[in-house]
Amino acid sequence: MADTVDSSSGTPAAEGGGRQNRLQRYRNLRFSEEELAVILLTPVVSFLLAVSFYPIFDTVVGSLHTGYVLDMNPRQFVGLENYRRLYGSGPLLDQLLNGDGFWNALRISLIYTVVSVPIELVLGLGLALLLNRNFKGKYFAQAAILFPWAIPTVINARIWAWMFNGQYGVINDLLIRVGIFAEPFPFLARPETALASMLFITIWKTSSFMALILLAGLQSIPDHLYEAARMDGASRIKQFRDITLPLLKPTLLVALIFRTLPAFQAFGLPYGLTGGGPASATTTLVLFDHQLTFNRLSFGEGAATATIITAIAAAIAMLYVGTLYEPEVR
Amino acid sequence: MSYDDNSLEIERFQWVGKKVGFYGSIFIIALVSVFPILWMFITSLKQPGNVVTFPVEYIPRDPTLANYRAAIEGAPFFRYLLNSIIVATGTAAIDVLLGALAGYSLSRLRFRFKLPVLLLILGTAMLPFIARLIPLYSLARSWGLLNSYLGLIIPYAAFQLPFAVWIFQAYFKELPDSLEEAGLMDGLSRIGVLFRIILPVSAPAMATAAIIVFIYAWNEFLFALTFMTQDSMRTITVGIALYQGEFQYPWGTISAAVFMSVMPLILFMLFFQRKVVEGLTATGKA
Repeated sequence: MADTVDSSSGTPAAEGGGRQNRLQRYRNLRFSEEELAVILLTPVVSFLLAVSFYPIFDTVVGSLHTGYVLDMNPRQFVGLENYRRLYGSGPLLDQLLNGDGFWNALRISLIYTVVSVPIELVLGLGLALLLNRNFKGKYFAQAAILFPWAIPTVINARIWAWMFNGQYGVINDLLIRVGIFAEPFPFLARPETALASMLFITIWKTSSFMALILLAGLQSIPDHLYEAARMDGASRIKQFRDITLPLLKPTLLVALIFRTLPAFQAFGLPYGLTGGGPASATTTLVLFDHQLTFNRLSFGEGAATATIITAIAAAIAMLYVGTLYEPEVR
Repeated sequence: MSYDDNSLEIERFQWVGKKVGFYGSIFIIALVSVFPILWMFITSLKQPGNVVTFPVEYIPRDPTLANYRAAIEGAPFFRYLLNSIIVATGTAAIDVLLGALAGYSLSRLRFRFKLPVLLLILGTAMLPFIARLIPLYSLARSWGLLNSYLGLIIPYAAFQLPFAVWIFQAYFKELPDSLEEAGLMDGLSRIGVLFRIILPVSAPAMATAAIIVFIYAWNEFLFALTFMTQDSMRTITVGIALYQGEFQYPWGTISAAVFMSVMPLILFMLFFQRKVVEGLTATGKA
């Protein structure tokens, strides 16, 4: 990403003397490049500081208070009390593995992210390799795989809630017709299968998004590399390992960041599919935070959860950039 | 001789097999991708009594539009649609303007602290939405922006601005330097160059950025749910997600409502497919 900065160029000084003088004159007469940059960037940067950074700061401050937001309950500094309440009591490892409330939500979000993103990446890469050739009807195939991405997440959740319905759902009907099940199974009413169904739905929805991003990466790999490899007698698998994968690395980085952060913050899918149930089995961290804030009106604990989510999201982003980013040599 | 014939035959057979396998897998993938929408459509055409049957009916007997009528009467459907169009268009307009200005500066002007500014702008894309929700909610409340279009347009524009900036700066980087030189030679100021020369040739980037931002604003749920508490101000995504229907098993009307709400977006996506893919992949290519 950052390599674009160094490659940028202003207007290079023109050669001929008269031309250069005229150029120089207009430069002196009007704004300099730097002045113009300040004029153009000030509104953008101040807008982002006000609407994106200030709220984060406010949330962190709010996580150290009670009575946050609610007027009738004046704000009071309580230190780390909100975090202590989220933590509950017991040894860390025990809480991590068995704790409820915050810990349960953290576990669900981690499982959701760690299971869905790698599968989406592999399926997306497969789809991209399949689409990365010319064939009749490519336009329609590409349009079809755009469908899942086009449907709003929360509406998609309602569609699948109907398809997974335990009595009249089409998925049960298909499974019975194929002979896998003997009678309808209440997928969304059992904790394990509810989480599994949610994973299935998000993988269905976002693999196509992965495929589109990776397809662009595949298309930017020059053909002559593969030709040269074929002349050297390299097998398909060797070509994939030695050419495709290394050159796809920057694209993979973007795809991973673009999927992992939203996956960790899943909200619309559990909200629309199960409402977090049964028995909190599909309550992701953001849904938990939402329930804390809007159902239980625990604004302090909600802000503490949001602060933890921010810290984890920042850690994920830095981890990816640190391990996968290689500055381009120019 | 017969040996050669045979090997040719086998090759031919393999070739046909490969083709069938390839198109077969493409077909299955396409079917799996389209099936949920197709299923909503099928459900929405069923007679109310035939929706909740098991085994399931795959081709509706006596197809009917009654579910669509019920869906439209049960919720201010067209009002939701209008709300979404206004919010998404407003967000796209702000992001195209600000994104073009910032993208131009970051790709074509020389100035100090460029890298920190770029990182600051792109970094905001990684901040969690839930951590911005409550502070922005209380700001919107104190400025009287709850249940107003501006109340959603402002946060949406800020959330998507990094992507717009990225799309524009990637596009401007590819333009030849001679464009600005020529403008300066002709006596235009730097601002004149930007507005008279650079922006007019950036229509493709504008379209890409506008479409990506528009789709985001159309689909967003968390803020739309929280900021618009009056039913008449809800966006279509929230309105349909909360739509309950009036019968015990309202799946027929819900299917009709969902199908109607998703169709404009799907048509929009199909119509602008190339642009959508370009926008999604602008970051992948960089």
